[in-house]
Amino acid sequence: MSTVRLVRGAAPMSGVRSVLGRALPVVVTAVVILGSWQLLVTVLDIPSFIVPAPVAVVSAFQAEFATIMSASVVTVQEVLLGLLLGAVAGVLVALALSRFPGMSAPVLTAAVIINCAPIVALAPIFNNWFGVTNLMSKAGVAAVMVFFPVLVNTTRGFLQVSPLHLEIMESLAAKPRQVALMLRLPNALPYLFNALKLGTTLAVIGVIVTEYFGGPSNALGVYIAYQAALPRFEYAWAGIAVASALGLLLFGVMSLLERLLMPWHESLHDRES
Amino acid sequence: MSEAAIIAVRGVNKEFTGGNRSVTALRDIDLTIDRGEFVSLLGPSGCGKSTLLRILADLTEPTSGTVSLNGKTPRAARTDRDYGMVFQQAGLFEWRTVQRNVELPLQVAGVDKQTRRAKAQEMLELVRLTDFSRHLPWQLSGGMQQRVAIARALSADPEILFMDEPLGALDEMNRERLQGELLRIWSDTRTTVVFVTHSISEAVFLSSRIVVMSARPGRIAASIDVDLPYPRTAATRTTEAFFAKVTEVRTALHGVPAEQEVR
Repeated sequence: MSTVRLVRGAAPMSGVRSVLGRALPVVVTAVVILGSWQLLVTVLDIPSFIVPAPVAVVSAFQAEFATIMSASVVTVQEVLLGLLLGAVAGVLVALALSRFPGMSAPVLTAAVIINCAPIVALAPIFNNWFGVTNLMSKAGVAAVMVFFPVLVNTTRGFLQVSPLHLEIMESLAAKPRQVALMLRLPNALPYLFNALKLGTTLAVIGVIVTEYFGGPSNALGVYIAYQAALPRFEYAWAGIAVASALGLLLFGVMSLLERLLMPWHESLHDRES
Repeated sequence: MSEAAIIAVRGVNKEFTGGNRSVTALRDIDLTIDRGEFVSLLGPSGCGKSTLLRILADLTEPTSGTVSLNGKTPRAARTDRDYGMVFQQAGLFEWRTVQRNVELPLQVAGVDKQTRRAKAQEMLELVRLTDFSRHLPWQLSGGMQQRVAIARALSADPEILFMDEPLGALDEMNRERLQGELLRIWSDTRTTVVFVTHSISEAVFLSSRIVVMSARPGRIAASIDVDLPYPRTAATRTTEAFFAKVTEVRTALHGVPAEQEVR
């Protein structure tokens, strides 16, 4: 029998070790940064309106845990709604564009140009359209921010199919519908997930910033802006930390989803590293 | 045209026009291939051997002349899935397992899932990759990927197998091993094979007949029967008859001006 290149999965021990090996530097870096931050604030007696000490932020988080968490729930709902709307709209328009490849180049160029505009500047407009306390005013901004990368990437994924694969389908006398389902769609998945991973970050930004302009009283962005105005900076920073954690968490979930839905994608990761 | 002919090419010309220049890729090609033959199209690069194969497979059209496949036009033969095709690169769908890659032609043809599965298993047995049916393409070596591509090309039981330098990307050792496998598969399935290559020894080892082509413009220079007995094995490569045939083919190849002819 011929030889197989078993690139991974050969030795589970080495897998555990490699995870540890990757996690350790991250942990060490975090501890060093937080430690020196704490040290600097304490030693130099930096006032909290510039930067509060990490310990103060943590105790603020503990003191208002329930409030911050319930605010996070509202914000997460807005982020997920925005992601969903933006992604669905992006994929649908990409599907339509891939039907008419001649149209795709000008439309994609327009999309890239529009995407350069600070979409988050639309926040006050969306608050007016849907009402400040309506979830849709936040999700709407997030959706617009997610829409463009999803549209551009997915369209590329549909169109940038290997000529060899296309020729194989042609030799099999495959119908256009079959080419779309069996070739273009799976080909676009890695492109779509790249856009979605970028999109989660964008959606969190869009929602938080829109909430700064007002929103349902128990939302994370509203909480941060309110605490900063009081001013209770430790609490504002606790809110910011949670917002960052949310972005990271959603990114992680999306990466996990990517691995589950595209087991073949492992190969790409291998080649990258 | 004889009774046994499965492929008939009559007066085929092919010109590529780009801008104000036009290049004659093929000139006055006449070729008849009988059912069950293993025919190699052999020639230097630029002799149009791949173009001729692509015309047979209806992946490009001749500028003039007629082609008949199984008594039909190439278009009809393609839509009836009368042929399977293997390219220089395996071109497996990286998101499909080996098994599902082999099933692809059957799935396109609308064959039900159970039949598809059984047929793919049978094909994987043929190329001796049963143990790898659940693997993904990237987990296989180049030679194994090419065997999957052969299984895929044969899964819908085509009468003709077109191969466009299928072993060209492999190293010498894998190449010779796969040549042996290919002959075994050919004798098991009795498919008619049209095989494009630029390797003389490969063509001699595999073919029942070699069509020697010359370049600029691509023409058929000679048709040489290879009467070495099947089954051919590694030992065949060391026989006097094998060397004699290689020499004969080489003479035919060099007897015609190839690259050096200027038009």
